[in-house]
Amino acid sequence: MADDVTQPRIGVDEWVASVEGKRERYRGPVGWLRRGWDSSPPAARLLVFVVPAVIFPFVTSEGNLFRYGLITLLYALLGLGLNVTVGFAGLLDLGYIAFFGFGAYTYGYVASAHANHHWPAELAIPLAIAVAAAVGFIVGFPSRRLVGDYLAIVTLFFGQAFVVFVNNANRINFWPFNHTDLTGGANGLDNIDPLNVFGWKVNTTKEFYLFTLGAFLLVMIVLYFVSESRTGRAWKALREDPLAAEVMSMPVNRLKLMAFVFGAGIAGFAGAIYGSVQTGAFPGDYDIGLLITIYAIVILGGAGSLAGVIVGALIVNGVPELLRDSNQAEWLFYTALVILVLAKVRPWQKLVVVVGGTLGLGFALHAIADAWFPRWTAGQPNDGKLAHWVSHWMVLPSHATQLANWAYVLTIALILVLTLLHGWWRTIVFIPTIYVAAFAWENLLVENTAGATRFLLLGALLVVLMNVRPQGLFGTARVEIV
Amino acid sequence: MAAQRLLELHAVNKSFGGLACISELDLHVNEGEIVSVIGPNGAGKTTLFNLITGVYAPDDGEILLDGKSLVGLEPHEVTNRGVARTFQTLRLFLNMTVRENVMAVQYGKTKSTVFEAMLRLPRSRREERQIRKRAEEKLSFFGQRLVGYRWDQPAYSLSYANRRRLEIARAMATEPRILLLDEPAAGMNPAETHEITELIGQLRKEGGYTILVIEHDMHVVEGISDRVVALDHGVKIAEGSFDAVATDPRVIEAYLGLRKAETK
Repeated sequence: MADDVTQPRIGVDEWVASVEGKRERYRGPVGWLRRGWDSSPPAARLLVFVVPAVIFPFVTSEGNLFRYGLITLLYALLGLGLNVTVGFAGLLDLGYIAFFGFGAYTYGYVASAHANHHWPAELAIPLAIAVAAAVGFIVGFPSRRLVGDYLAIVTLFFGQAFVVFVNNANRINFWPFNHTDLTGGANGLDNIDPLNVFGWKVNTTKEFYLFTLGAFLLVMIVLYFVSESRTGRAWKALREDPLAAEVMSMPVNRLKLMAFVFGAGIAGFAGAIYGSVQTGAFPGDYDIGLLITIYAIVILGGAGSLAGVIVGALIVNGVPELLRDSNQAEWLFYTALVILVLAKVRPWQKLVVVVGGTLGLGFALHAIADAWFPRWTAGQPNDGKLAHWVSHWMVLPSHATQLANWAYVLTIALILVLTLLHGWWRTIVFIPTIYVAAFAWENLLVENTAGATRFLLLGALLVVLMNVRPQGLFGTARVEIV
Repeated sequence: MAAQRLLELHAVNKSFGGLACISELDLHVNEGEIVSVIGPNGAGKTTLFNLITGVYAPDDGEILLDGKSLVGLEPHEVTNRGVARTFQTLRLFLNMTVRENVMAVQYGKTKSTVFEAMLRLPRSRREERQIRKRAEEKLSFFGQRLVGYRWDQPAYSLSYANRRRLEIARAMATEPRILLLDEPAAGMNPAETHEITELIGQLRKEGGYTILVIEHDMHVVEGISDRVVALDHGVKIAEGSFDAVATDPRVIEAYLGLRKAETK
């Protein structure tokens, strides 16, 4: 009965009062950084990125600026657009790169020798954005009621259809386009004009970098405003629960379409710049590979987070570029190894065993090989100080390729075994795993850093990061309805 | 003078395949009234809410809000006409903050376009301030429970009872004329249930809402209702004051079945 219940006073909740002091506290330098980041205003956070980004072109070489700066920025700009569709609205758009392609081809068509148009960028770029957004509307309109996997299938098909289209749209033969060459077919469009923005000819890498930086900041700020507006909140709401959003006054279908078109427009913007940077637009550039890269950026950075896009682009583009140089790759590899061991091996007794064991195993094997099997230490160490040091610890046989291939396979096997073991067994198997991995690295992988190795390592890095932080670096922990 | 009828259903039918969920249902809610809908599981109560809010379209019949038909409108249009609901199985935007939950649902009450938001034009900024203020107002309705640091916490961090309160706050923020509450006391302990009973009274007194509520807890129904409607298999089997409905033999039959002696 209601009578024997003690009368509650509405709005008084002791638990609320008591929990106030128990909120999560971050400790140490990481905590200091996090608190600083959380409590600083958005403009200050933006400065953390803008200041180094503006200084960068004046302290680095042309080649570095292109590889680390311009390409990262273009990826980040693409990531911003995908972040609207995937991160904000939660629509799995697998045809995203096609909009990027539409932007590049549109710009290329109106600003190159191909059709003998030479539009200035202040007209050509808005046109490219408009075309990409319009195509986004055309694709989005019939699929606006689709959700999840079904939308993914439709858009994936569209992405592929785009590649087929640009490969074949060089011989369109129906009224009113008789004998029109829209895309240059498999050869693509070449000799695309540099950007000509109100008379400013954007031609050098530095100019392209600064222009793209401006474009990126503009889009970033605009998206921040949108994400803090009724539309942005409605996108997030429909990502969380479309039915609840619809019943709570949000026109879900229209909002989905809007997110789709928005993302497409930003991709078109990036495409126009990219076409001009490349001075060409070729069908192969707008394929699945790039789509996966951009998805990796958005997911790694944390879907829905604008800052995450920057960090994601820096990692996904920067790490493989750093690894191109075998000396840098050497440092990166061993640093990562040391960090892994320091972070993952607890308590300190085990850490001592692992570090001591690994060093001991290496020097012992090296001494044995030196004394009895000279062939095993006859290999030449790579250039660089670190490689020289390592050569005292690691056996480097002459003609090592075959052995190193086996060591590579053995490394993977050992890592798999490692995931199955617990306690001291894991600690002990850790030692040969590190040594065999380092063996494969020194004798095989480091020679190929410009090729397959860097992508292998990037893949490994992504696996590790997504395991450690499934929500992405800047994402907030997501909770699904149970 | 007869009270003003705010919500009216006339001969509404709804079936899924061969299963008639609602048949020939007549129902009305007067302005300022609190009406409870009771009935065993599967009686069609939640279907009734889905029909009113436009999630389902009725097969035939008429649904009127203030004399204007709601049939054929999209759910968000129905909400904009002044109908808001909560869900029996909570459907909060769990990964948004408490305040964002209440801010998001004011979409229908605001007008600034996405282009105005992109440039932070005056109307967009003004509306943004209003949205925030209104959200904080609605959340303050629940005393200390959903204010202060709670505003910036994600909705998933709330306790079950607070999630129910947040759902109500969210429904209030769409500025409805009629609130449809789907089992507001489900899963609550006796103290919280009692609080909900008082809260519903407050909603009418201070918020000025007309309320249609589905509830299984008879103490709550007894405590709040001006009128009770009992459904079974989609048919209205009784209507009237709580005492009249609770003692109605058909209602007792629907809940408990017939006694052996009576079935003979």
